[in-house]
Amino acid sequence: MLKRDALLRFVAVATLAGALPFGGVESTRANNNVSSSTAAAPVAALKKLEPAERPIAAVIDLYIDQKLAAAKVKPAPPADDANLLRRIMLDLVGRVPTPLEVKEFVESKAANKTELLVDRLIASEAFVDHQVNEFDWLLNEGKGTLRPYLADAFRERYGWDRIFRDLILAEGASKDDKKAAGHEAVEFLKPRMKDHDRLTNDVSSLFFGVNISCAQCHDHPLAKDWKQDHFYGLKSFFARTYENGGFVGERDYGLVNYLTPAGESRQAKLMFLTGHTPDEPQRDEPDNKAKKAEQEMLKKLADKKQAPPKPSFSRRQLLVNTALSNGQRDVFARSIVNRLWARFFGQGIVSPVDQMHSANPPSHPELLAWLARDMADHNFDLPRLMRGLVLSKAYGRDSRWTAGERPAPELFAVAQVRPLSPHQYAASMRIATADPEMWSKLADEKTRMQRATSLAGSARSWASSFAPLTDNFQIGVGESLLLANDARIWSEFLSDAGDRLVGRMKTLKTPQEQAETAITTVLGRPADAEETKLLAEYMTARKDRALEAARQVVWSLLTSSEFRFNY
Amino acid sequence: MHNSSFSRRSFLGTTAAASAFAAADMTGLDLLARPAQAAAMKKQQKSVILLWLAGGASQLETFDPKPGRATGGPYRSIPTSVPGVHFSELMPKMAARFGKSTAVIRSLNTKIADHGGGATLMSLGRRDEPSVRYPDLGAVIARELGQADAQVPDYVSFYAQTEGRGSAVGQSGFLGARYLPMFLTDKSKPDNLARLDVVNDLDHRERAELRDLLSKRFAAGRDNAAVGSHNQAYARVRGLMSSEKLFDIEQEPQKMRDRYGPTQFGQQALIARRLVEAGVPFVKVGRGWWDSHGENFETHLELVTELDHVMSTLLDDLAERGLLENTLVVTLSEFGRTPRINASLGRDHFASAWSCSLSGCRVKPGAVWGKTDDDGQTVKDGEVGAAGLFATIYDALGIDATKEYHVGPRPIPIVDGFASPVTSILA
Repeated sequence: MLKRDALLRFVAVATLAGALPFGGVESTRANNNVSSSTAAAPVAALKKLEPAERPIAAVIDLYIDQKLAAAKVKPAPPADDANLLRRIMLDLVGRVPTPLEVKEFVESKAANKTELLVDRLIASEAFVDHQVNEFDWLLNEGKGTLRPYLADAFRERYGWDRIFRDLILAEGASKDDKKAAGHEAVEFLKPRMKDHDRLTNDVSSLFFGVNISCAQCHDHPLAKDWKQDHFYGLKSFFARTYENGGFVGERDYGLVNYLTPAGESRQAKLMFLTGHTPDEPQRDEPDNKAKKAEQEMLKKLADKKQAPPKPSFSRRQLLVNTALSNGQRDVFARSIVNRLWARFFGQGIVSPVDQMHSANPPSHPELLAWLARDMADHNFDLPRLMRGLVLSKAYGRDSRWTAGERPAPELFAVAQVRPLSPHQYAASMRIATADPEMWSKLADEKTRMQRATSLAGSARSWASSFAPLTDNFQIGVGESLLLANDARIWSEFLSDAGDRLVGRMKTLKTPQEQAETAITTVLGRPADAEETKLLAEYMTARKDRALEAARQVVWSLLTSSEFRFNY
Repeated sequence: MHNSSFSRRSFLGTTAAASAFAAADMTGLDLLARPAQAAAMKKQQKSVILLWLAGGASQLETFDPKPGRATGGPYRSIPTSVPGVHFSELMPKMAARFGKSTAVIRSLNTKIADHGGGATLMSLGRRDEPSVRYPDLGAVIARELGQADAQVPDYVSFYAQTEGRGSAVGQSGFLGARYLPMFLTDKSKPDNLARLDVVNDLDHRERAELRDLLSKRFAAGRDNAAVGSHNQAYARVRGLMSSEKLFDIEQEPQKMRDRYGPTQFGQQALIARRLVEAGVPFVKVGRGWWDSHGENFETHLELVTELDHVMSTLLDDLAERGLLENTLVVTLSEFGRTPRINASLGRDHFASAWSCSLSGCRVKPGAVWGKTDDDGQTVKDGEVGAAGLFATIYDALGIDATKEYHVGPRPIPIVDGFASPVTSILA
C-alpha cells in the first residue's frame, strides 16, 4: 500500500488528457489548477450572505441568476407543467406521474399549485420509500440492510445530524437486545468494521465531502488541505472500534502508527479534517496480560451473545461531537447540501461531490455557504432543503438547449438530463404500463397515491436487473438485451390483461386513439401530432396483428430515452 | 435500406435518416458468413484469450519443474523444443511447441495468497482500493481494442462452475457499464441473445427503429453522454443477437470439436476461438478448481494434462487460421503453489515465486524470463509483479502501457505505478 512511487501516480494535473474515445472517463475539470479560498476558511472570502429568513428557493435563484448575468447567459425557459411534474415526482417519490395526475396538475389554475404538489408529496409514504432507496444506495451500496433504520429516520423526520450520530455511534447495537430501537443503524458500521481504512474514507467522503484516500500514502497531491496527518488523524477516531459477536465495541486504548513516504514512522494524533485536534483523556496502553484477559472476557461475552462493555471514553463519540460542534460543523453541512444539490441538479455546486477542497472551489460559494448555514440552523432537516431545491426556478428549467453550444453545467442555465436510478426505472415502468383509466375509478387522491405506491413497490425486484447509478454513468448492452429479449419483461410490462395499458389499448377503436393513449400514459404528457401519426401508421400497417402492434408501440416508448431519463 | 412501413421523414431529414440507420442495416450480418469482413478484422484486430486457472495452478507441475529436489514432487521434467528449457512431464504437447509461439515468466512475485485477494490482484493488475473502482484486464482491453459500435460483444467471460462466483471477477469499474463482461455462467450462450418467439423478426427490428426515432427526437437539444450510451446500447442489440451463432458449438464440424476434446474447458476454448475470429477483443475461459491442498499430484495429473491438450490445440488452431499473430493467449492463475509438500501430499497457496505464460501476438517464441532458486522458494532473478505482467500484456497488444485514464481530476495510469513491461520476451 505504501509505495515510494505512489507520488508518481499524481503527475502534474496540468497535463490532463483531452476527451477519450467514447466518453466516460475524461477530465472535465479544467479549473483544478485554480487555487483560491480554502475549504477550511471559506466564509472569510465571501461576500455578506443574504438574510437567513429568506425562502430557500428565492435565495437559490438570486445567486444563480447573478452568475448567469455575469456570464451573459440567458437561461433556458421554464419546463412546461407536465415536464416539471414528472421531474418533481421522480425526484421526490421515485416514479413517473399517472395520466390522471398529469391531467389534474396541468389543468389546475391554482397559482401555488407546485408548492401544493411538493408539500403533498413530501408528506406521503411514497416520499419515505424513495428516500430510503436513495440513502440506502448512498450509504450502503443498496445492500438493503439499512432500510429499516432509514424508514424510521425519514418517517420520523430525523435530521441529518441525528442520522450521522446514529450511524457512527450505533448505540442501539451496544445493547444486549438486538431488537432494541435503532439497532439496525449498526448496518452502516458493520460491513466496514474489518477495514478501518475503508471506514475512514467512507465516512470522510459520505459525511464530509472529502475522499481522502490519496492522503493515506502521502500528502494529498492536489489539495494542500489534506496531509497524511488528516487521514490517520481521522482514522484514529475509528481505530479502537471492533466487532464482537455481532455487537460493536470500542476499546479505550489503542494508537495508530503510519509511515511517511520517506519511511519515517509516526504516531497519529486525533485530528478532524479541518485540522482541529480535540483533546482526549490520557490513557496508558495496557500490558500483554491485561490484553489477554480482555480477549478472554470478550470471547465469553460473544458466546453468551452479550454486548461488550462501554469504553470509559469513546473516540467515535468525540468525532460526532467535534464534527457537529460550532466552528467545525460547516464541513458536515456543506457536504450534505452539495450532495442533495447534485442529486437534484445532476451536478454539485462542488463537483465531484467527494472532492470538496481548496483546489476545487464551489461554482457558487455564497449560495453553498447560505444553504449550509440554513441547514445547520434548521436541525439539518433534509425534506426542508429538498423542498427549497425543487421550488427554485433554476430546478424548473427546460432541459433543451437549442441556441448554440450548451452552457457549462455549473451555470445551471438549463436542466440536466439525468438517468433514472434502477428503482425509479422499475417503479416507473410499472406505473406507465397500468391501465390509464383505472385511476379515475379510485375514490380519492389518497387512495390513488396508495395504489400507485403499492404498484411501484411491486416492481421493486426489477431494480436489481439494472446497473446502479455511478459517476459518468453509461447504459450497457445488458439492459438493452434484457428489455429486447427477456420473456419476463414481455409478460410483466406488455401484458394485455384488463388492468394494463396494452389491455386498455385493445378496447380502443382506432390506431390514432391507441397511439395517443400509449404516448400520454407512458410519457406523461400530451401526444404531439407527428409522433401520434408515426405510431398510428406503424399500427395500421399491422392490422393483421393489432395486439402485437400495440405491445411493440408500448415497448418502443418504455425503452425510449425520454422514458429512461429524468429530463 | 429495407422497406419500412412507416415514414421516417416525418421526423428526420433523409440524410440524417440514412446515417441513423446505417447500423441497423448491418443487423443481419453474420460475421462468419462474410469471409472478406472476417479477413479484414483478422488483419487489424488484436485479441486476448485468457485461460484462467482458478484456484492456483502449481508452477512446479507446469512451467518451472524442480526434479530431484525435496520440493520437486514425483514428476520428471522433460526437455522442450528450446534447448536447455524444461517443463513438467505433464506438459508434453506444450513442451514440443514451446519454441513456436510461447514465452514463460518464471518470476512472478505477487505477494497476495488468498483466493479473493489474489484473483482481484491478477484481474486488475493492482491492489484494489476503497476509493476507486478499477476496471479489470478484460474491461481495459475491451475499451482499448473494441469498436464503439461493435456488432460483437467485446468482453466475454466464461466462468468455471467451480471458480466460485465471488472470485470470478468481472468488473468495468470507472470505465462504465459499456465494458462489463458478457458473463456466462451455467449456460454456454449469453442471456437474452435469442429473440422471443412471440415477437417476429420484422417486428423486432422495426420496433427498434421506432424506438430509435422517438429517442433521437428526444435527444435533440439534449446533448448528453448517458443518453448517447443508451442509444448505443440499443443500436448494438441486433448485432449482438447475430453473434449468438458464435456461441453455438454445433456450428463447428465434429472433427474440430473432437480435436479440442469433450471437456467443458476444451469446448469453451473452441468457442473462444470462434469469438476471437469474429473480432471479439477479450475472452476469458475459466477452468477450476486447482486448489490442491491435498492430493496435489493427482489433481495436477488430471488438470495439467487437460490444460496441455486444450492450450496446444488452441494455439495450433489459431496458428492454422492465421489468427495467432494477432491473438495473445495468456495462461494465468491468482497465484502458484508452495514448493513445500504438506502432510496431505498437497501444495498450499503461494504468491512469491510462480509462473505464467504468454503465447502469440508479439511474443518471442521460446523465451523464458526470470528464475527461481533451486527449490523454487524465492525469485532469484527478474522479479515481476502483477503490474509488470499487465504492462507486458498491453505492450504485446500495441497498447501504450504508459497512458493514463482520469477519474475526476485524478490521473490513473493504465499500469499501476507505471511498471515496466518485460520487453525481452516480446519480439
